[in-house]
Amino acid sequence: MSLYALQKLIRDVNRKPSCREAFFQSAETFAAGYDLAAPERDALLKRDVGTLYAMGVHGLLLRPFTLLHKMPEPDYLKAIRGD
Amino acid sequence: MPITFACATSHAPGITAWADAAPAPQKDRIYGAFERLRRELDASATDTLIVLTSEHWTNFFLDHVGAFCIGRAERYSGPVEPWLQIARQEIKGDPALAAELLEACYDNGVEPSFAYELEFDHGTMLPLHFLMPRMERPVVPVFFNTLAAPQPSAGRALALGRIVGEVARRSPRRIGFVATGGLSHDPGERNHGIIDTDFDHRFMAAMADGNCAALGAYQRSEFAAAGAGAFELLSWIALAGALDGRKGEVIAYEAVKPWATGVGLMTFAHGLAA
Repeated sequence: MSLYALQKLIRDVNRKPSCREAFFQSAETFAAGYDLAAPERDALLKRDVGTLYAMGVHGLLLRPFTLLHKMPEPDYLKAIRGD
Repeated sequence: MPITFACATSHAPGITAWADAAPAPQKDRIYGAFERLRRELDASATDTLIVLTSEHWTNFFLDHVGAFCIGRAERYSGPVEPWLQIARQEIKGDPALAAELLEACYDNGVEPSFAYELEFDHGTMLPLHFLMPRMERPVVPVFFNTLAAPQPSAGRALALGRIVGEVARRSPRRIGFVATGGLSHDPGERNHGIIDTDFDHRFMAAMADGNCAALGAYQRSEFAAAGAGAFELLSWIALAGALDGRKGEVIAYEAVKPWATGVGLMTFAHGLAA
């Protein structure tokens, strides 16, 4: 697993407008620029928040990332708690 | 010159970003406490502020993590969050004081990293917005790694604080301190929204007593149990070190559910330099 690369991608999307634009244009193409393991790429492309959290993505990276996707807080908490 | 001003405050973004989500009496007590601190700062004629603070993946990432980082820029800007309800602005730096702090640290066995370019997020901008709305004083930010394990120990934060406090005391200038972060909260994590009021009161009691021995003995596991955001209290512990046992006063504490944080404000103004 390459949690570092996964978190780096998410941080780039959160913090860098050009990366954000590229990600929302084509997440698949954007993700190809990062050394992700297959399950990580899969979870990312599916926006599988529960799995991303279980993989170890830091909450202060993941929550802002989900806010870019307009995910309400109750839905986010439900996903990371596995409810 | 003795330290001219000192306070510790939480910096939960909801304080400004979704202020009215909090029950009005809680919000009013917290805003009133910030206003009291602003008046104390103005009355202190402080020249420059050392801000003991934390950040949220704004400047630093896992490509290079240091325990502490001192800003030596001529100017900073923030907040980076457009939704914080605080206008983005420039804040003057104080590179000469930053250099003094760094030299003193390196001479005394603590080696922070340093940076000539930093942006401020809510962790630094929110308290400055309330305490110094015109941003008329320069600041020197001292960042603590509170995000990536292993975070610095409480004892190490205390040691850093003692060194920077000594620099402030021997300076001919009027130097004040702001410590910011905490108290219990677990932002973006599994226990988001859970506030540990027992932890918060115990911690603030030690701060009020200036009990450096107790503060320096806090363990990472204790912070983690109070939520990931409780590591931000390393900055408060550094403040206790800087003040070398000076007693303080809790002027507000509210467990604010809509802000998902135990919000505390303390002053250490009593008996500081006239």
